[in-house]
Amino acid sequence: MNEEKDILELARQEGNAFRTPEGYFDSLEDRVMARIAAETAQTPSRRPVWSVLKPALTLAAMFALIFGMGYGVLSLTHTLGRDANVAATEYASAEEEMITPASLINYYQTEPAEEPEIDEETLINYLASELSFADLAEIYAQAN
Amino acid sequence: MTDSEILQLYRRGERDKAFRALVASYRERLYWHIRRMVLDHDDTDDCLQNTFVKAWQSLDRFRGDAQLFTWLYRIATNESLTFLSRQQTRGGHLELEAAGRLSTDPWFDGDQLQLALHRSIAKLPPKQKAVFNLRYFDEMPYEKIAQVLETSEGSLKASYHHAYEKVKTWMKEEMDAKY
Repeated sequence: MNEEKDILELARQEGNAFRTPEGYFDSLEDRVMARIAAETAQTPSRRPVWSVLKPALTLAAMFALIFGMGYGVLSLTHTLGRDANVAATEYASAEEEMITPASLINYYQTEPAEEPEIDEETLINYLASELSFADLAEIYAQAN
Repeated sequence: MTDSEILQLYRRGERDKAFRALVASYRERLYWHIRRMVLDHDDTDDCLQNTFVKAWQSLDRFRGDAQLFTWLYRIATNESLTFLSRQQTRGGHLELEAAGRLSTDPWFDGDQLQLALHRSIAKLPPKQKAVFNLRYFDEMPYEKIAQVLETSEGSLKASYHHAYEKVKTWMKEEMDAKY
């Protein structure tokens, strides 16, 4: 086991086999800073457009929403009011159509139907069913 | 300059000075960590610069509950893993090809044993390679590796043990084939 592990231990003891170009680490700071500066210079052209537009777009969206809701409510109210007016107008015109001068003349020229004669027995029975005994007594007293 | 001195400098508004100090303190350690992951010097340079640019961009949000050391190692490891993953999606295991080119790499002067070592490490899955490298080369305690890779110590120990056994076997096979 130890003998098998030695191959890795042996490789470790040999140290680092990789190399870098001369002065690589010395120039790294400047290259990284230059890249950051280049990326920072590019970034503002993209960010402010969105950061300026974002609140404006939000505000516009809110106005559109409020306007839409208001318009919807007003449209609905107007439609209901118009329906009510239409109904009243239609009713009035229907009434007008029903009562015309000719129909009025016909109505008054028509002879009234003869009222049926009421015989005495029917009258007594009606009074007996509709009036109390005291009422009948009072009527009788007044008649005599 | 210590981590806390760098951070104090940064919080006093001397950002450029603080950042230059941070790069000076960590450039070599991070370079070697990335180099062992991606092998090629130019790729390492790209990843290292990306690491420092990302550190600069997020230094404002560095809360100080982790050490700068751990935080920078995490960024560097993620950059290396992203690079390796991008290579795999572009067409196979390019790190194996890079390992194959080591013998002709002007910035590599290892012997057969070193070639066998880095070719074997290149066969490991990327995350296991990170665990192996941090432990084997940097001799980082498991506790710190766990902070860097944001994983549990238990799983790291198992992962390192398996990686160690695999690398040892592959190295032996390569050395036996040569001699």
